[in-house]
Order: sequence, then structure tokens, then C-alpha cells
Amino acid sequence: MLQYAALIPFFPLAGFIILGLLNKKLPKNIAAVIACGMLLISFGLALGVFMNISGKTEEVQLAPWINVGSFSASFTFLLDPLSSIFLMIITGVGFLIHVYSIGYMHDDEKHNIFFAYLNLFIFFMLVLVLASSYLLMFVGWEGVGLCSYLLIGFWFKTKAYNDAAKKAFIMNRIGDLGFLLGIILLFITFGSSDYHTVFTKANGLMSGDTMITTITLLLFVGAMGKSAQIPLYTWLPDAMAGPTPVSALIHAATMVTAGIYMVARSGILYALSPVSMLVVAVVGIVTAVFAATIALTQNDIKKVLAYSTVSQLGYMFLGLGVGAFSASVFHVMTHAFFKALLFLGAGSVIHGLSGEQDIRHMGGLRKKMPITHITFLLATLAIAGIPPFSGFFSKDEILGHAFSAGMVFWVLGVIGSMMTSFYMFRLLFLAFYGTYRGDEHKVHAHESPKVMTIPLIILAILSTIGGFVGVPESLGGSANFDKFLEPVFHDAYAKMLLMEHSQILSEVALMGITVAAAAISIFFAWNMYVKKKTVPVSEGTRLPFLQNMSYHKYYVDEIYSALITKPLDKISGFLGNVVDNKFIDGIVNASGKLTNWVSGLMRFVQTGNVDFYLLAMVVGIALIIFFKLM
Amino acid sequence: MNTLIILSALGIIALFAEIFRFRKALFPLILLGLGGAFFFTAKEYNHPQIFLGMMNFDNYAVIFSCAILIIAFLWFMMAKNYFLQETSVTDHFALILFSLVGAVVMVSFSNLTMLFLGIEILSVSVYVLAASDKSNVMSNESGFKYFLMGSFATGFLLFGITLIYGITGSFDLASIHTQVAANHDSGLVIAGILLLMIGLAFKSSLAPFHFWAPDVYEGAPTTVTTYMATVVKTAAFAAFFRLFSTCFAGVTGHWTDVLWWMVVLTLFVGNVSAVRQKSVKRLLAYSSVAHAGYIAIAVVSMGAASTSAILYYTFTYSISSISAFTILFIVSRHKGSKDISAFEGMSKANPLLSFAMTVAMLSLAGIPPTAGFFAKYYVFLTAINAGNTLLVLIAVIAALVGIYYYFRVIIAIYFKPEQQLVPIKVGPLHRTVLIITTILTLLFGLFPNLILGWI
Amino acid sequence: MDSNGPIDYLPIAITVLVAGGFVVTTMFVSNILGPKRKGKIKLDTFECGIESQGNARIPFSIKYFLAAILFVLFDVEVIFLYPWAVDFRKLGMDGFWEMISYMGVILIGFFYILKKGALKWDTD
Repeated sequence: MLQYAALIPFFPLAGFIILGLLNKKLPKNIAAVIACGMLLISFGLALGVFMNISGKTEEVQLAPWINVGSFSASFTFLLDPLSSIFLMIITGVGFLIHVYSIGYMHDDEKHNIFFAYLNLFIFFMLVLVLASSYLLMFVGWEGVGLCSYLLIGFWFKTKAYNDAAKKAFIMNRIGDLGFLLGIILLFITFGSSDYHTVFTKANGLMSGDTMITTITLLLFVGAMGKSAQIPLYTWLPDAMAGPTPVSALIHAATMVTAGIYMVARSGILYALSPVSMLVVAVVGIVTAVFAATIALTQNDIKKVLAYSTVSQLGYMFLGLGVGAFSASVFHVMTHAFFKALLFLGAGSVIHGLSGEQDIRHMGGLRKKMPITHITFLLATLAIAGIPPFSGFFSKDEILGHAFSAGMVFWVLGVIGSMMTSFYMFRLLFLAFYGTYRGDEHKVHAHESPKVMTIPLIILAILSTIGGFVGVPESLGGSANFDKFLEPVFHDAYAKMLLMEHSQILSEVALMGITVAAAAISIFFAWNMYVKKKTVPVSEGTRLPFLQNMSYHKYYVDEIYSALITKPLDKISGFLGNVVDNKFIDGIVNASGKLTNWVSGLMRFVQTGNVDFYLLAMVVGIALIIFFKLM
Repeated sequence: MNTLIILSALGIIALFAEIFRFRKALFPLILLGLGGAFFFTAKEYNHPQIFLGMMNFDNYAVIFSCAILIIAFLWFMMAKNYFLQETSVTDHFALILFSLVGAVVMVSFSNLTMLFLGIEILSVSVYVLAASDKSNVMSNESGFKYFLMGSFATGFLLFGITLIYGITGSFDLASIHTQVAANHDSGLVIAGILLLMIGLAFKSSLAPFHFWAPDVYEGAPTTVTTYMATVVKTAAFAAFFRLFSTCFAGVTGHWTDVLWWMVVLTLFVGNVSAVRQKSVKRLLAYSSVAHAGYIAIAVVSMGAASTSAILYYTFTYSISSISAFTILFIVSRHKGSKDISAFEGMSKANPLLSFAMTVAMLSLAGIPPTAGFFAKYYVFLTAINAGNTLLVLIAVIAALVGIYYYFRVIIAIYFKPEQQLVPIKVGPLHRTVLIITTILTLLFGLFPNLILGWI
Repeated sequence: MDSNGPIDYLPIAITVLVAGGFVVTTMFVSNILGPKRKGKIKLDTFECGIESQGNARIPFSIKYFLAAILFVLFDVEVIFLYPWAVDFRKLGMDGFWEMISYMGVILIGFFYILKKGALKWDTD
């Protein structure tokens, strides 16, 4: 059975090739069916793997790849509980989003290409999580980056969208450079990039190894880029320029969690380096709170969700940093459910309002879009961490570990969590409650077709009950999720001197505090936006300082532009116009002319005269013999 | 041995195809026969056989024979139509088959007499083939030049063999190896090695013994040129390396420095001369000289990886060459000109033909993801491992020059205004050849181990 | 083969000298010693008693050359029978079969030229 798992990525690839080659020759319906069908097959296979993988680790070698000197790498897939969970998320959520896209993209002229890109993305994402070496993972890593670029700039006729695509690509390149350097150092240190070799050798090392710290920090730079952590997070909100299903699939549910996957996969390496762990945790929690403060004042429905994604990713890194690997992966899963749902719900709203994204112009959609409303509500409850919705279990597990690692992490985490509840309910109330604030005559809000709402319903069910796979023991559950992943992280856990859960406050008490905090901020949101019917002020109004900072995202984009982009532009202008055009091109042209001239001379040697040829041969022979024998 | 018997029998059958009037059946028969020969050769993989100390069918011989048979197979598919229009097609096919016998002998000899016989069986057939376009003065001149200079070079080869025999008292490679090691400072040994090297350098067109190549390549019918650039070159280098790695690997001081200079000269002459050529055929002729230089780098840097580097290089070079020559053949027949200008703007009406030519050119230029990239890469790797860094530097510069003239063709295809929008007709056989060569070029570029794994 | 000095090649040098010297000497000496009578008929090209006509450099039919080269070919190939004949007993049955197959190949070649009409004189 597990051998067939190797086929999982190749169905989406086949879909991409078919759709890419035939493109407009295929009717839209058939194209959509192919794209979704391929993914459904992959999902079936992934399900089969998931059923059979418990406690096992399998390597499936597909083909030798590169053999150079002592260096060799092969196309080998690794199947273990960790990769099987990601397989399930990618193919399962991916499939639902594909189905949703049938409705969402129905009228787009590049419909077939869109599905081709989506399938290609799924292929690369699957390669990323199935890879059995860092090198192959890098292939998937770059591949998803490419697809992300293509899909952000999918409507490339708008310049702003292109700029967003480029920004995402460049930010990711910065991260990728770190990742690549990390891989090279891995090669130098361990002589291989295979997980098996690297982890086995790493297991014999002492904690605190400098080289390991360097490697893990470099790898983390890659993760920061891909998973939008401070300071490389600015691309993700801009990436919302792509079609909403793309935002849901790539920039919320799957691709951005690649960084989490990579750090979790390298758990043993991070476990060896307390410094790196601390860096990961600090970057995570700072990002979580920072992004949440920005989300508080945003008015674009997708921007709010984008910052919430950045914030949630911060929580996941916090979890990794405090050693709660399986809790982080758990949060990846639940987050995939509710964040995909939120984005698709937002897409449904945008779709129903003919492209309106500003929540100031929404309101009262509860009645017009009942299904969207209910599912959105469930997702909001999940992300706010209200029991028994899925987000509660995963987030609390992270916060519980954070508490053991340091009080300050927990406090900040709870504050972030409060802000999360606030801005999410702000969004919900402004969009669905109150009265409609848009132009009734122009826009006729309507519920989306079934092909869009059914994925919403399925995701809503998953967001609601998805947490039950990991009910902690303190709540009478059996923490199945942790046990499932335990074999993967066994060595990493053993390397860490894990503190026992704090005795000062019991786990249940901690949960109580977080839930209460969330509930209070929900109340505040309700009081402000439903009872008092406050609407965020329109553009141009002066805001109080803090609100202004938050609304303008702390001017980070402007700072980057002034400090990095503009100086680079200047230097590059100088290099391009003066150094390159005048100096380098001069040298290149001269050498070209020289070659051409010599070539002209060479023609006179090739006279066509046999006598001369023979003479040249004899002279050559004579010279050779003379010099060698004398 | 089975290979030799099958090929000889096939040659004899081909001779009688005209007489017994089964000319139509000859072509399928030859393909079948080559397939059979390939099968029987491949069966000997890992089962080395030695025949009276004359021939040794070790894995080296088997792999190179297989490579030669595959190339020959593609060649026959490419050349069928050309020779069918000539009067004595069967004789030409018979000559090719006999020369294949020579090529197989050249890769499997374990005795200098067999080396000499192999070279002569191969060469004599090709002399005749070069002149096979009887009514064309260029072809006649080409055959005559090749014969004249070839026999001249053979003289030196023979002289070298004589000197080596004089010192070692044997034609057998193994005993030559021990005897040469025992008498390594004898001047006659050095002279013998050098003369052998000169003879083989002529066959593999290394400067300054390359002068025949551009003229002969240009004058000979395009199909024969293809054969010379592929099978003959592969066999020549396989023989070169087999002889020198078995016999003279212990006395590299005597010959590598000379070969080093020959390589540099070849790279320079081949690449630089190609820059100004107007005719694609002559351009490919010079490029063939240049490629001989690259392959010889692996011989200079004699090491563990040289064999696989030479195998990979010769095989992928042959595949790309067949592709390029086939397209040249098709285009020149259609346009009546072999100049680069004949290719101008053909991309619009002939996208597939243009694509195949581009892949072939990229591969010859050594640009990934084509096979040509790894070919150069592995050759350079052997050189670096042997400490020949300077040589690699020179070769890389030469390769840069190479990119220039290969891209002239690509630019002509894609970026020049189209001359005519008439699609060029491509026969089914040529189509098949082009599809196979293009796919193989890309495939080997992505998975070099498909070839490297065998040796 | 104890040493490989140029001295070992002395016998060869002597042979070359003697062989070359003999030819040169005999030609030279006979030229001096022999009687010389010159006349028109004496200096004429000898052509089987018939009076010579015109220049010898006229185009010949290719068939002359073909016949000549084929003769040389088969003649040389038949020479290989001599060493076999000398060692006939020692080579035994193996040698016999080898020789048969060798002759077989020659016969195939002969058959080929026959069928190709290389020896036909009367066609154009």
C-alpha cells in the first residue's frame, strides 16, 4: 500500500500537464473535473497512507537523481506520521478549495490555467512534505514559491497585483538564501542532506553545538520567509491580491505552513540548540502579537485575515520554540480548517457583493447569506479559541507549553489571543450584523452557489469537531494526536530537558483564563460594533496615534522602502548605467570582436590544400618528437 | 563476438540485396539485425569473453558497442531516404555495416594488430563513403583527401606499433603494459607512444592533425558526415582511451603533456574557426573538432571517472549531432542551401523542427537541462580531480566561444524575420529520429545516471 | 633482449647497406661495363613487334583496371593458403574449418563481383 503513496504527487502533476497543454481546448467543466478528480485520487491515496502509517516510517525510492563524485541525492519519498498529516491537510483541504474554485472562478477567462497552477502547486507542496532530504524539500520549497508567485499575479493586468507578486517572490528569495546556506552547511557538517543520515548523526551530538545553532538559525531564516514571520512578513498581506481560493489554499492553509513543517521536521536539530529554540519562540510570539495589533484596525476583509494568518503562524512558531512540536502541527491542522474556511467565507462574501472587500461597506449579510454566515461564525469561534471548537485545543496546548517555558510567553500569548478574538468578532459583526451599509441599488447581495457553500459546510464541520482528535489528558481526553506524532519527535523530545508542567496553576486553570480573556474581548467587540453600531471611520480622518500606527501597519513597508529598496535602486542604477553599460559591455564587446577577428585569420589556415595539411602534420609530428626526445 | 558475426553477416546480406532484388526488405532487415546485435551484445554485459588474446569483450567493450549500435540504428533511420535515391544503396549500407564491424573491433581489441585492423576496416569503408556522391566534385575531393591523409596518418600509427613491438616484443596490451613499465625511459618507447597517439589523434581529429576534418566533413554527403561525426568519433575515442589506459597509464609523463597542448590547440582552433562560418555544415564540422578537444580532456586527465565521462560525452554528443545533422539535411534539401541564412525565421512555420534544433544546439553548447551540460561537466570534473585546473579554465572559455556560434543558429531560427511561411515536410522516419534524439537529449540531461550507471 | 641500445640494430644497418649497395653497384657497374649501341629502332617503345602508335596516355576502359585490381586482390588472398598448407597437419581440423570459412568469404566476394558484372567485357 505504502509504495503507491509515491504516486500521490503525480496525479496533480498529471492534471497540470493535461490542463497546461490543452488549456483553452478543454471546456471549463471538464478542466475543473480533471483538476478536482486528480486531487480526489491523491486524497484517497493519502487517506490510505494515513490509515496505515501509525508508528511506521517508510522510504520509497523513485529514481536516482544526481550522482556527482561523492555527492549523491535521489528522488526518495519519506512517509511517516508527520508527512501523512500534511498529506491529509494538503490533499483534503486542497480538494475542498478546488471544488470551491469551480464556483468562484467560473466566469474567469483564464479558468483552465488557474486550475493548472493550482494542481502544480499541490504537486510541489506534496513533494515538499514527502521529500526525504533537504535537497528534495528545497525543490518543493522553490516550486511552491513559484506557484505562489504565478497565482498572486494571476490577474497580471493590474500593476499592483504584479508588484505584490514580485514582493512575495523577493521576500521569499531572502528566506530561501538562508535556507540554501543552511542546506550547504548541513552537507559540509554531515556529508549528506538525507533526513535519515543527518538526524542519525545529529542524535550523537551534544546539545549547544555551534554549527548546529548556525544551521538551525539559517534554516529558520528560510522558514521566516515562507511562513511570513518578522521581519519577512510584509509580503503575505499583499499576497491577498490573488484570487481568494489562492489566499485560502496557499497563503493560509498550506504553503505558509511549510516553514512550520520544516522546523518540526528538523526537530532534533533544533532540540540540540537552545539558542535557536529561544530565537524561534521569541520571533513567534512577537510576530503573533505584532500582527494581531495590526489586524485590529484593518478594514479590508482579506487583510484582516492575512494578518491573522501571520499572527497564527507566530503562535505555531512559539509552539515549536518551546518544544511543543506536535502541538504546533496540531495547530497547523486546525488552522488549515478554520482559516481556509474564513478565507472561503470571505470569498463567498466578496463574490456575493460583486467584488466588495471593505467591511465598512458591508453589514447585515446574516440574512442574505445564511450559510456563509453560520460557517463564518463557527470558524471565528474556532480561531478565537472558544471550547469545544478546534482552535481551542490546539492553541491551548501551545499556550500550556509556553507557560512551562516562561511566564512571559504565556502572558503575551493570552494578550494576542484576546486581540485575536476581538478583531475576528469585529470582522464578523461588521460584515454580517447590523444593517447593510453598501449601495443597495448597485449590489444585490446573494448567497453563493452550492458548489461554493458545500466546501464551506464541510470545513465548518471540520473546524468544529477537528479538535477532538487531540483532547488533552487534563480534560479527560487521551491526546491521540500527540501519541500519533510521538515516534517522529521522540529523539527531539529526548534531547530537550523538558520541564514538567507547572504546578502553580493547573492546566485547567490556564485554559479557564484564556477562555475567559477571549470571552471578554468578544463582549467588547459586541458592545462596540453591535450595540453601539460603531463603524470604522473612512479614509483621511485623523486617527489617535496608536490606532494610526496600527492602521498603517507601523509604516513597516515604508521603512523597508526607504532603508533598503531605494538605496538598492540607486546603486543598481549606477551599476547598470555606468559600470555595466560603459565598462563591462565594453570589455565584452571587445573580446567578441577579437574572437571574430582571430576567427577570420583562422580561415586562411584552412586552405583546402592537401600539401599544406600534410606539411602541418609533419611539422607537428616533428616538433612533438623533437621536444619529447631531446 | 556475436556482434561481429551478426554485423558481418548483415553486411554480406546487404551486398546481395541488389543482386537478389530484395532491396525493399533490406532496410527493415538491417534495423532488425542491429536490434539483434544490440541484444546479443547487451547479453554479454558482466560476462567478459576473451578470444585468443586478440579481442576482449569486457564491459567497456560491451557498453561502447551498445552505444555505437544505438547511434548506428538512429543513423540508418536518418539516412535511409538519402541513399534510396542513389544508385547503389545496398553497397553503401554494406560499407556502413562493415565499418561498424571495424568500430566494434576498435572498442574491444586487446591486441595492437586488432586495433590496426579495426581502424583500417572502419577507415577504408568511410573513405569510399565520403566519395559516394559520385557526380559531386566536392564529395570526390573529400573522399580523396580523407584517403590520402588517412593513409599518411596510418603510416605513423603503424610506425608507432612497430616501435612498441620492437621494445616490448609483443602486440598484447597486457604484456605491453608490463614491458613499457620496465623500459619506461627508453627513447623508442616514448617515440612509439607518441606516434601511436598521433595516429589516433588524426582519427579523432585533434589539432594539428585535424585539417582533414572540416574539408572532408563539408564535402562528404551530409549523411556520411553524420556517420563520421558520431560513430567514427565514438569508436576513435573509445580505442584511444582503451589503448592508453591499458598500456600507457603508468607512463603518463611521456604523453599527457603533449596531449595537453593538443587539446588546447584543438579547443582554440575548433571553437574560434567556427565563429565565422556561414555554412551550418562547416560550423558543425568545426564544432566536431572542438568537441574532440573536450573529450580528449578526459583522456589527458586519466582517472577512475574518465571512462564514464568519455562514454557519456561521446554518446550524448552523437545523439545531439544526429539531431542537428538531420535537421540540416531536411532544411538544406528544402531550401537548397546549407547556410545559416536558410534557417532564418523558420520557427513560425516549423515550431517542432525549430525546437529540436534548439535542443540540439543547446546540448552541443553545453547548456542545462540538456545532456551536453553534464557531458562537459563530467569531463571537467575528471580534469579537476586530476589537478588540470588550468585546462578546465581554458576549456570553459572555449565553451563560451562555442555558445556564441551555436546561438547564432538559434537566433537565426527564432529572431530573424521569416523568409517563407511554408512548413517544411518532414518524413515519418526523420520525425521519429528527431523525436527520439530530442527526448533522449533532455532525458539524459535530467537523469545522467541512465548512462553513467553502466560503467 | 638484455639491452636496447642502437648497437642492437647494427645487423639491420648492415643488411640495409648490403642490399642497397648491391642494387646500386650492379646497376652502376653494368652500365659501365655493358656495350652501348644506339639507333632509332633501338630506342623505340617495344610493343610486341608491332610498330608503336601515338601516345600511351589515352583513356582506358575502367574494366582494365577492375580486372587488374581484382586479380591482385584474389592473388593476395590466395597467398594465405601457403602458410596453411605448410602447417596443415599442426593446425588440424580447426585450421581446416577456419580455412574453409575464409575461402567461403572470398567466394562470396567473387560471387558478388560476378553478379555485379564487374567481369563482363561486352556490355557498354
